[in-house]
Amino acid sequence: MKSSFFILSLALIIMPLLATGQPATDDLVSGCVIAAGENTTYLKDFRVQLPKAAPNAAVPVYKANMYLMKNMKYRFTVCDAPESKGELVVTIYDQGKELISSYNKSADHKYSSIDFICNKTGLYTLWFDFINGEQGSGVGVVCMIK
Amino acid sequence: MAGSVTKIVAVILMVSLGSCRNSNTRQGGLGFPVADSVPAGEAVKLSEEAVADIVQNIASPVEIASILQAMQVPFSAGYLAPTHEADRLTTNFQKAIMLGIYGADLGYLNIYEKTGNSIEVLSTIKRLADGLRVGQYFDFETLKRLSLSKSNLDSLLFLSVNSYNQIDKFLRDNNRGSISALMIAGVWIEGQYLATQVALNNHDEVLRDRIGEQKIILGDLLMLLRPYRESSEEYNALYSMMEEISSRYSDVKVSYRLGEPETIEENGRLVMVQHEESIVEMSDAQLAEIAEKSKEIRNKLISGQ
Repeated sequence: MKSSFFILSLALIIMPLLATGQPATDDLVSGCVIAAGENTTYLKDFRVQLPKAAPNAAVPVYKANMYLMKNMKYRFTVCDAPESKGELVVTIYDQGKELISSYNKSADHKYSSIDFICNKTGLYTLWFDFINGEQGSGVGVVCMIK
Repeated sequence: MAGSVTKIVAVILMVSLGSCRNSNTRQGGLGFPVADSVPAGEAVKLSEEAVADIVQNIASPVEIASILQAMQVPFSAGYLAPTHEADRLTTNFQKAIMLGIYGADLGYLNIYEKTGNSIEVLSTIKRLADGLRVGQYFDFETLKRLSLSKSNLDSLLFLSVNSYNQIDKFLRDNNRGSISALMIAGVWIEGQYLATQVALNNHDEVLRDRIGEQKIILGDLLMLLRPYRESSEEYNALYSMMEEISSRYSDVKVSYRLGEPETIEENGRLVMVQHEESIVEMSDAQLAEIAEKSKEIRNKLISGQ
């Protein structure tokens, strides 16, 4: 335990030195992989940057199709870039039907991660957007849960 | 707690080191990709080509290996593609296919924590990636150090899978989709080879389902390769070989049982359990045929024929 905290302290000291010139999106991806928690294996990341929704227009969305497999547990984690004005949300669709979203609009509650226990292999669509159509940038990370 | 801290530190350190090393050479730069903006609520209607362009995760280098590990199937180096063949590869076609095949092997080695054995595979991947001018996304030195230290598996898995994702993305963004498609096909065929060879000797329903479900995925893989089919004889031959595997799937049935999903909140996290189910019907004879054809084609590809 002591040695782990020694390594952590060392890392925190060294990090700023290493960070010079580092691509911002890579920081965000690695931070988001950590935020996904223990017992997960990283599979994919989606880097999202969207403009503010125009007045009376639909909310801009970044979408991607992804195969999800039966008998696998997936964790979808979203992380906002530091300069982002909006909060990133991921919603999973199966053939146009919404399955689960990291944002509960009626309760105005946002989850940073959602787990999906998949029982049907198929092509699912991931929709990334920012709450209330705000301008924003962030990363969505997909991991499998061990 | 200690494991958690170690994981956090390992990922931070390794990604930082890797990113710094590559930061001057990455052609992708710092920017986010241009988003594909569509109005929310609009029905998703995409052409075949558009679907092929954005389908993600057709073949993951780690998912099959993780199933094998969960089945407690012992690691076998005999399943790995020999690396000495790689020096004979001359065309970008061959290099891209083999980059995918070795990527799947690297996933297999890493999931089984045979990281000390992976140096030869890593060196080969680096040479192939350099040959395809995507070596800047493959941080060989950091991966090698992680492999030798045998202590940071999470970082190693993250960095290796991330390297493949970045290569794939770079290729797609730079109008080299034909190379990306070959790499994906390579990952798929090696994963298919691993899964089918293990399934022949180990009865496991999850693995059998996974092999049967490849019928769905193979359809999209063929769609991904189709636009490039006429670009060269090599491509045409690959496409025909993949069609041969597809034909072995013609009598495999995948059906669906409807069910309403269940959503619960667990430790502050939203969890959805899907009750709609895909069901695979595949006989032993069908599995044997698929395994035989997959092996034949995989061996043809690694021998450069």
